[in-house]
Amino acid sequence: MNYGKVTKDTIAQLVSLLGEKNVFVDEEKMESYSHDETPVEQFQSMPEVVITPTTARQIAEVMKLANRELIPVTPRGAGSGLSGGAIPVYGGILLSVEKMNKVLEIDYENMMIVVEPGLVTNEINGLVAERGLFFAGYPMSLETCFVGGNIAENAGGGKAVKYGVTGQYIVGMELVTPAGEIIELGGKIIKDVTGYDLKKLIVGSEGTLGIVTKAIIKLSPLPKAITNLLVLFEDVDSAISTVPKIMSEGGIIPTSIEFMDKLSVHTACEYLNEHLPYQKAGSMLLLEVDGTKQSQVDEDAEIIGELCLENGAIEVYVADNYTTQERVWSVRRNIAEAFKVYSPHQSLEDIVVPISSISKLMPRIEKIARKYDIKMPSYGHAGDGNLHTTLVKNPGSTMEEWYDIEEKALLELYDAVKELGGKISGEHGIGVKRKKYMGDLVGPGEMAMMRAIKRALDPNHIMNPGKIFDL
Amino acid sequence: MNIIVPIKQVPETSNVKMDTETGTMMRDGVESIINPLDLYAIEIAIQVKESHGGRVTVVTMGPPSADKALREALAMGCDDGVLISDRKFAGADTWSTAYVLVKAIEKIGAVDLIIAGERATDGDTGQVGPNIASAMDLPLATYVSRIDAVTGTSITVERMTEEGYEKLRLPLPALLTVVKEISYPRLPTLRGKQRARKTDIPTYSVADLDVVENHLGLTGSPTRVVKIETPKVTRGGKIYKVVDDHSLEEAVDGLIEFMKKKEII
Repeated sequence: MNYGKVTKDTIAQLVSLLGEKNVFVDEEKMESYSHDETPVEQFQSMPEVVITPTTARQIAEVMKLANRELIPVTPRGAGSGLSGGAIPVYGGILLSVEKMNKVLEIDYENMMIVVEPGLVTNEINGLVAERGLFFAGYPMSLETCFVGGNIAENAGGGKAVKYGVTGQYIVGMELVTPAGEIIELGGKIIKDVTGYDLKKLIVGSEGTLGIVTKAIIKLSPLPKAITNLLVLFEDVDSAISTVPKIMSEGGIIPTSIEFMDKLSVHTACEYLNEHLPYQKAGSMLLLEVDGTKQSQVDEDAEIIGELCLENGAIEVYVADNYTTQERVWSVRRNIAEAFKVYSPHQSLEDIVVPISSISKLMPRIEKIARKYDIKMPSYGHAGDGNLHTTLVKNPGSTMEEWYDIEEKALLELYDAVKELGGKISGEHGIGVKRKKYMGDLVGPGEMAMMRAIKRALDPNHIMNPGKIFDL
Repeated sequence: MNIIVPIKQVPETSNVKMDTETGTMMRDGVESIINPLDLYAIEIAIQVKESHGGRVTVVTMGPPSADKALREALAMGCDDGVLISDRKFAGADTWSTAYVLVKAIEKIGAVDLIIAGERATDGDTGQVGPNIASAMDLPLATYVSRIDAVTGTSITVERMTEEGYEKLRLPLPALLTVVKEISYPRLPTLRGKQRARKTDIPTYSVADLDVVENHLGLTGSPTRVVKIETPKVTRGGKIYKVVDDHSLEEAVDGLIEFMKKKEII
């Protein structure tokens, strides 16, 4: 693509649109906008200018300017993404929504909240908890990420088994299109088949089809009681084969079913100095059930616990208070940190396979890890087949060797995933990180439809270019 | 070996908000948990039982809802629970609390070993354990970090002091207060939870205990909380800023002089 450069004149126009304090070109300040949570040394690109607009009108004007001068615009939330979606790979304008962080309306009658995209997701929960409500989208990074980023990536998380992902709760939005029009999609309604469901198209489009400037989010009743089960299994099979039974035989949909393989369990427990008898464990499930009554939740937990024991669980631990719940979740939350001690160079993956295929995938992963002499722990959301298999560099190899190994091992991993009927990203997105693998995983017909949509909505290809697929 | 573990239910304080005007904790919606330091007492008591046989009885004084804490301890592996609950006990200080606990322990029956946590995370006094030992005239070892040996008549422990460790042998019955270093508390299991749910936990009220009424509750407490305030830190350190050779030398000289004055070197 031949993009225009951000010139002094462009800056002057941006300043007149947004005011001086919302436009900056200072290298040092721009540096933090040049990467996200993917490895900096691999995925970093400096913007030519960073802007922090405060209204949809301003964003619309910026888009018109960008179309006139053919300057790429990369929208950005909190920068906590894991696929490089917010990195300005072609330079140009980096548009941060950080200053659009207001709650516009809390509508208790309809159980909805209207917010701007720069709001930290967890703030919603802080505001509505006392009225017994919460936002059930729940990405794992909810204390830092923005609503806008959640929508762009259709973020999932640890509670998706029961509550699903972000998109299910986005009932309406205001969008600035790549052409610079401000449009409204959906509304404060639960059902809507008035034409194409365009808001669903925007959710998960990684900022390539427009910028959400206002979101109408459906809230859910906040569960009053929560119980966790930490279950040690001898091997992967017995853990994974239990998962569908919990729902089919047990008749219970847990809030979370998190899986950790042997390597993840052992490394995290060692890192935390956790003295559970994990040495015997070949895998672990962390389950959560929630509800309105503690007695009901306890009963559900008991049914699940019994099912686990019938399936050969070594031990079922019950955590129903703050102390024990923190303790069991910290094992799951600290896996990534624990492996950083071994090597900070990692590729955090986001594969998703049919639940029943997880146990077939595990030996394949072990084989790849052995072949390339790297560590490949797998952990994540077993309840929806979404695993954060991670490639961890062998500290003994050079960076050059690592980049080579990373690419080859990823290809083999993705091949295995494809064979088992899976996809390469469940909740982190494609971004720049996985773009080159898209063609192998997505059929030509589907790719053609995606490209047609992109071309129709963004003919100049300036809206977050270089992401998901190339035109 | 009959072991008794006195525990306390405390508010879960990691997410707590303070009322800035009164300086007190806002208790609305705050979960009650077993005092985290009592978990170590429970764990080591269960370990002693596992290797030497006997029963572990966990006892607490508190509102009826403290039943939850006792059942959590049972789920971890304690055998029996006793709840001491009566409005007349409310507002007891450490002396009055220990007084009632002793009366309850006497009612429970013969005891070989009492193991308490180092202190509670709310009151933070660390007095109730030693108070019980004093009232029952039992040998006491505080800040115990290891149990070395248990025989039918004695227990050998290591306790932490400011300078190092002390090894003590105490004749039984005895009372220990234990520190975190002693063990890693286990998690309650499903089977433990099921057993705990079915266990009958007796409640002792004033009428059940051989107590003198004017020793109970707020009125029976010899101490009073007059005022709670945040202490001002008056001990200021000296910070040397090292930017070049000269300031480095100055800092090193200063440190040496300080350590000489304090007789560290």
